[in-house]
Amino acid sequence: MASKESCRNELRHAVKQLSDRGLHSASKWAAELLVGIEPDTPSSRPRTSGVTPLSSTLRHRFRAIAAAESPATATPPAGVSYVSTPIPSDDTDNDDYDSYLLAKSCFDCREYRRASHALRGQTGKRAVFLRCYALYMAGEKRKEEETIELEGPLGKSDSVNTELATIERELSSLHRNRSIDSFGLYLYGIVLRDKGCGSQALSVLVESVNSYPWNWSAWTELTSLCTTLDMLRTLNLKNHWMKDFFLASAFLELKMHEEALETYKRLLTIFRLSDYIQAQVATVHYNMRELDEAELIFEELLRTDPYRMESMDTYSNILYAKESFSTLSFLAHRVFLTDKYRPESCCIIANYYSLKGQHEKSVLYFRRALKLNRKYLSAWTLMGHEYVEMKNTPAAIDAYRRAIEINPRDYRAWYGLGQMYEMMGMIFYALYYYSKSAALQPNDARLWNAMAHCYESAPLGRIEEAIRCYKRSADCNDAEGIALHELARLYGELGQADQAAVYYKKDLDRMDAEERQGPNYVEAMFFLAKYCKSVGRYDEAEHYATRLLDSTGPEKETAKSILRGLRASNSGFASMEIDHFAP
Amino acid sequence: MREEEVERLRAIVRDCIGRHEYASATFYAGRVALATADPLDIYMEAQALLLAGHHRRALHLLTSSPPLLRDPRFRCLAAKCLEELKEWHDCLTMLGEAKVDDDGNVISHKDANMMNLDKQSDDHEINILSAICLLRAKAYQALDNRDIAKQWFKAAVKADPMCYEAMECLVDNYMLTCEEEKRLLSSLNFRKEDQWLYAHYSCMISKHEKSSVLEAKFRDLEEGTSGLSFSNSSSNKSPKYNADLMACKAEYYYQCGEYQKCFDLTSAILEKDAFHLKCVLYYLVASVELNRPNDIYVMADSLVKNYPNKAVSWFAVGCYYYCIKKYSQARQHFSKATSIEGTYAPAWIATCNTYAAQQENDHALTAYRTTARLFPGCHLPMLYIGMESMRTRNFKLAEQYLLEAKKKCPYDPLVYNELGVVAYHMKDYEKAAEWLELALDNLAFPLSELWEPTLVNLAHSLRKLKKYHKAIIYYEKALALSTRSLSAFAGLAYTYHLMDKYDEAITYYHQALWLKPDDQFCTDMLNLAIEDDAQTRKDFL
Repeated sequence: MASKESCRNELRHAVKQLSDRGLHSASKWAAELLVGIEPDTPSSRPRTSGVTPLSSTLRHRFRAIAAAESPATATPPAGVSYVSTPIPSDDTDNDDYDSYLLAKSCFDCREYRRASHALRGQTGKRAVFLRCYALYMAGEKRKEEETIELEGPLGKSDSVNTELATIERELSSLHRNRSIDSFGLYLYGIVLRDKGCGSQALSVLVESVNSYPWNWSAWTELTSLCTTLDMLRTLNLKNHWMKDFFLASAFLELKMHEEALETYKRLLTIFRLSDYIQAQVATVHYNMRELDEAELIFEELLRTDPYRMESMDTYSNILYAKESFSTLSFLAHRVFLTDKYRPESCCIIANYYSLKGQHEKSVLYFRRALKLNRKYLSAWTLMGHEYVEMKNTPAAIDAYRRAIEINPRDYRAWYGLGQMYEMMGMIFYALYYYSKSAALQPNDARLWNAMAHCYESAPLGRIEEAIRCYKRSADCNDAEGIALHELARLYGELGQADQAAVYYKKDLDRMDAEERQGPNYVEAMFFLAKYCKSVGRYDEAEHYATRLLDSTGPEKETAKSILRGLRASNSGFASMEIDHFAP
Repeated sequence: MREEEVERLRAIVRDCIGRHEYASATFYAGRVALATADPLDIYMEAQALLLAGHHRRALHLLTSSPPLLRDPRFRCLAAKCLEELKEWHDCLTMLGEAKVDDDGNVISHKDANMMNLDKQSDDHEINILSAICLLRAKAYQALDNRDIAKQWFKAAVKADPMCYEAMECLVDNYMLTCEEEKRLLSSLNFRKEDQWLYAHYSCMISKHEKSSVLEAKFRDLEEGTSGLSFSNSSSNKSPKYNADLMACKAEYYYQCGEYQKCFDLTSAILEKDAFHLKCVLYYLVASVELNRPNDIYVMADSLVKNYPNKAVSWFAVGCYYYCIKKYSQARQHFSKATSIEGTYAPAWIATCNTYAAQQENDHALTAYRTTARLFPGCHLPMLYIGMESMRTRNFKLAEQYLLEAKKKCPYDPLVYNELGVVAYHMKDYEKAAEWLELALDNLAFPLSELWEPTLVNLAHSLRKLKKYHKAIIYYEKALALSTRSLSAFAGLAYTYHLMDKYDEAITYYHQALWLKPDDQFCTDMLNLAIEDDAQTRKDFL
């Protein structure tokens, strides 16, 4: 991997160049990364494995691993060498620098059209980019305004960025003439994406990052366009350390958690203090349902950067899932004071209200988050969940659909849709949505249970498929224990008593292990008692029947009669006890 | 009066005319003519009177001495007076009997001597015969005898290709079909030095050629390689800034549906030449297409202030109302434009379009028929009649009109598109696909969003022909142009459904319903697809 010094150097230039072009979030990202490079201590220069400036246990552990591995992974395996991309110098020679300054100032004051006008007729690459980008931003701003002005019944509107065609025409001709720089390519890429030409956008963005790898915004666009692993593999990317950041975030997106963690570990050797990497690692843990690990990292993160907003919504999700009410409350109040009109903070506050059971307020804040950022995926999904709580089916469906529109890989939204349609009795639809969801998240037992339930219910009635789904569910460590019981029940209904007994037994063992009781417990024992009796395993039958006597309800009477039967067919030693237990 | 005194006065008259001091000019010309009684001086006096607006007096002066009228130049001037007086019959009589055939060849023995006569005239003027033909043409046009007018216009251009006015009338008033225009152009005899004019004319008439051919033509003209290279120092005034040529280019862009380019170009020209009327017209229509009522408003306002007697000013006002969808007001202003200039084609067509926009089918059809009669070279009314007939599901009739339009202008892809749609409605899918492919072949520019419906239509036809894979290719092409097409999504979904690919079908039905949640076809088909899918799904178990 490249040396720290060269990374630092590259990033310093990048921050300047990105902010020169008004790419604020990319430049912020680069700057954050720049301070994330561990400072060289004067004594031990490159390898400072022993020295950790922060004393968080987790960080320590994590970084210790990373540091230990650093000599081995300094260059990536298989002899891939990083191509050093020369830092392009700015072509200020044929720009009219004064009007560029005016344009940039206007741009920073969000007077986009004026900025674009100030640069009219200029041909310098930087000027062309800023002019087009300002025009794009002007179009976006107008689009946002129109969206709010012409809001449809469900907040949907047909407004589009009217400048796209103009910008595309200019950039595509520049692209043909090969007189376009990497920033222009990035803009061309997002214009193409907005027009719905995904594959073209992908290739243009690849061109962009290959010639200028430090533009994180371009990588982010690339991540959102790479929806499958195959697409990711076929990308023709030059090797650069920025590519690792991209790959890691793409792995995260594609739910390849191990790979993501591996890559981040490697990156930590250089960017040891990077908060961004920490947050990403925490998100990976969250996705792997390792909530405690994730929480630890987030806590640490908040300590070092108390006013951070990025990924804090994930932290609030973790707190919500763990129901740690007080921490969530603290977080919500803090972000409220930091900046209450950020989509992330609204989302955190919404989570807070949701945990308090105030769903109306929660929806209100989700709505606010979405007003601030229409493409805020998790807010749509979570708002859908809130609407489910409020029994507002149409609104929930709409919210889920919007989430899918933004990212069709969001399995929670698909699952939510399935639930809604199942609730409305549209089983076919529900099945389709559940299957989408299960295909995206094949290790989630709940999804398979839901699918199985659809297969089993009235219009379909395909018991065999239902059984197969439940089996998948059982393989995925079904935490709610629905699958085993349902399997047993279905086999019982099909008359395959042997199979049914196997699953009842498994279910019983599971419930014993978890020390749970309930109707399922009784049912399992009841079935097993009868089954064992019928196949002649009297000892077992007696065992189950005896345990059944502890329960209340009609089963108890039947258990008694079973025991009586057993006694009749066997020796009579048990009769005394039964009498003894009789009420 | 002494000879030198007369000479001096003549010079003064010429000077006065040059300075537009017509009262002085008439006064001195009268004195000179009285003194010399030279026919040339009388001609000069008549000229001055005509310019001063004394048409009747000029006419009287010219007709008072019959021998003079044997000279064609005198007759021409007299006819000009009659034209100004709007006495068209007398004007024609004054010009004398003559016949002209369809191609604009003058068949007249009388005029033979005139031909000889102007052989002597020097190069710096337009052939007098051409001027006479032009006057005849205008008279016939005013008398609503457009056929003969057309022939005389042609005769005027043929007599002297430098007669730009005649050419302009022929082209702007849609008197000739594309074929006829080409034939006329090839029959003209240009002098070697005037090759640039040939190039200019060819730009004027080519509205539907391939962009590469035409761009080359324009480039040639702009660089002046076609011959108009000035040998002297004035070469910096190259035709690059020639607004007339640029207006032709704007017209071409408009015809091809490149409205943004047309708008940009015309705005640029209008910055230099604020009231170049042809340019103004294309600026207006492009703005209508791009839906920019504000720009039209400003333009219309200044036009009405500056040119209240021009049809284009009121046309502009009409455009504004059209753009903001107030069709009856738009129509009022369009008819004001046509009442000012009966031959102003854009206003006529626009009037028809207002009826069509209000779904007043009968009115629209009548209006289109009138327009078709007035502008025999224009294929648009035929095309629109075809489209209107299609709307009333009168496909046979629509096809007839569209074929007629195709005959007039075989290059317009829109005609082929409509023919394809008619064939599709008549369930002749083979033919529909053929027509639509022709439409795509005839496109001058790379595909733009405008042609998304053509692609979708073609894909629909291919689907009906069970060429599913090809259909899918075209649907996808259409979606690459615009992601907001319900029809393309629905068609794509249905095609996949027909191929039993339920998963894709369901995805695209969803996309379609996302655009229009209450679409009945998609809702029903989605139900079916989802049920079929549920019944057959096994894949990932």
